[in-house]
Amino acid sequence: MKKAKIFVFTLLATCYMLNASYARADNYESERYRIQYGAVNIGGENSLMSGGYNLSVSLGQNAAGEFQSSGYVVKAGFQYLHSIIPFRFTISNTNMNFGTILPQVPATQQTVLTISSGGAGGYQVTAQEATPLKTLAAVTIPDTVCNEGSNSCTEGAAGVWNRKDSYGFGYNMTGDDIPSDFKNNNYYRPFPDASTKETAENIMTNENVGKNRQATVTFKVNISPIQAAGSYQTIVKFIATPGY
Amino acid sequence: MKKFLLVFLTVLFLGVPIVTAQQLALSVSIPLLEITIKPGKSVLIAYTVGNNGDPTALRARILPFRPKDNHGNIVIEDEFSGPIRFSLDNADIQLDQPFFAKTKDSQQLLLRIRVPEGAPEGDYYYTFLTESLPSPGTEGSTSSQAQGSIGTNLLITVTNSGRVDIKGKVSNFELLKGFTMNFFGKRVRILDSSDKIPIVLEVENEGRNLIKPDGDIVLKGNFGEQAKYALLQQNILAQSKRILTATPSAEIPDSVKQPVTLVLSGFFLGGYSLSANISFGEGAPNIFAQTSFIALPFKFIFGFIFVLFVVIYLFKRLQKDN
Repeated sequence: MKKAKIFVFTLLATCYMLNASYARADNYESERYRIQYGAVNIGGENSLMSGGYNLSVSLGQNAAGEFQSSGYVVKAGFQYLHSIIPFRFTISNTNMNFGTILPQVPATQQTVLTISSGGAGGYQVTAQEATPLKTLAAVTIPDTVCNEGSNSCTEGAAGVWNRKDSYGFGYNMTGDDIPSDFKNNNYYRPFPDASTKETAENIMTNENVGKNRQATVTFKVNISPIQAAGSYQTIVKFIATPGY
Repeated sequence: MKKFLLVFLTVLFLGVPIVTAQQLALSVSIPLLEITIKPGKSVLIAYTVGNNGDPTALRARILPFRPKDNHGNIVIEDEFSGPIRFSLDNADIQLDQPFFAKTKDSQQLLLRIRVPEGAPEGDYYYTFLTESLPSPGTEGSTSSQAQGSIGTNLLITVTNSGRVDIKGKVSNFELLKGFTMNFFGKRVRILDSSDKIPIVLEVENEGRNLIKPDGDIVLKGNFGEQAKYALLQQNILAQSKRILTATPSAEIPDSVKQPVTLVLSGFFLGGYSLSANISFGEGAPNIFAQTSFIALPFKFIFGFIFVLFVVIYLFKRLQKDN
């Protein structure tokens, strides 16, 4: 009897400690998608609404017939998904003014990127600088390589940049859908340089539908004591595209 | 004092605006366009670009793109190429020419897409970009101007007959959890019963035209239980691979860093088989892939043994004390 009691008590204690849950079915409704009926070509809309119902309509004809008669078939939007989130892209601040920069005193500026995407393929945001920071006389502040050594960084891989004697221009990211190599506020990357044909890097990406996905980009400049005085400028291009 | 009061009241009643940073907020519809078209034909597509930020100068451009990876990301090329011809039918706006967008304003852009006679059959992929024109930098200080672009993709299939080249295959179908071992000459994947199971289903398009796979992933248990997960219809561009997405799926665990097709959650016990059934539309052959796994309650067993030892130890100690 005692052994049975011990067994039952042990079993219950094990269940409690492991927090074993019942096997359960996944939710068959999704907040992200509503499956529409099949043959939508063009003209689908949501205009038929009343207090009691909301009807989506689809117009058009099957692809083969339409192609033979008109010579083309157009499918606009995500045919089999009812998207209620339009594609939107916001940059909170387009002017990152560092003011007067002092040698070995890092200067930072921030902007917030916000994306809403209702498409089936998610979205991506890429970043690329037109040139490194430079004056009209073409004197440049080089792109950062971070702390160098084991903490060096590249356009596609962030590294730690917190030494005052590591100079350059770079960026850090925090927030939603950012690359995983931005582990904390000390991790930076240089921007890919369009003037040397470097490919733009993804800085936000998500394969799913999302609303108001936000990430903060922190621009950082640190110059050496021998950096020539001047007004250094560049343009950083952010491109947001929905998935396909 | 009177002067101060006058200034205060003037500011109060006139409502002097707060100085804020320049904000760019753009929206675009249609988010994706797929066209199958004969050479010699043209179509007109109406896009709407909205400006919800500060007034700004914008410019519309078309650039080709190519797939970057198997997650659906793209690389937009720097220069235009390809046989397709684009123009705007708007009276006052042209491609590559700036136009002004006021706050809360929307602009319809009528994009004419023309395929010249003799254009080679195949797929052509472009991004229709609307980009802001950056303001000049601040004189006398170091600054970086952000230029924002919002894009929408165009997938154009040029064909004379309407027939397209459909050649799809499953290039990867596997579980990203557990460990594998040989069991009677057969490789078996073993995992814990309570694990969340990420699954990757990657389809390769070996044809000259994009494909849009349809189908599902079916999970079958050894007691006859079955669950079906529908695949979302996503485009796979010509000569590229893509990891498909199935729904519904459990939340992706933090430990999984790469995109996955599906995450199974629940309490699994025994042998299970997973099969992927994919079709590419009428007239195209269906493709099929299968994998399996065995789920055992390792964590439960280890936990049970541990707690059993602790209870026996405490019980014996209690008996000894008594």
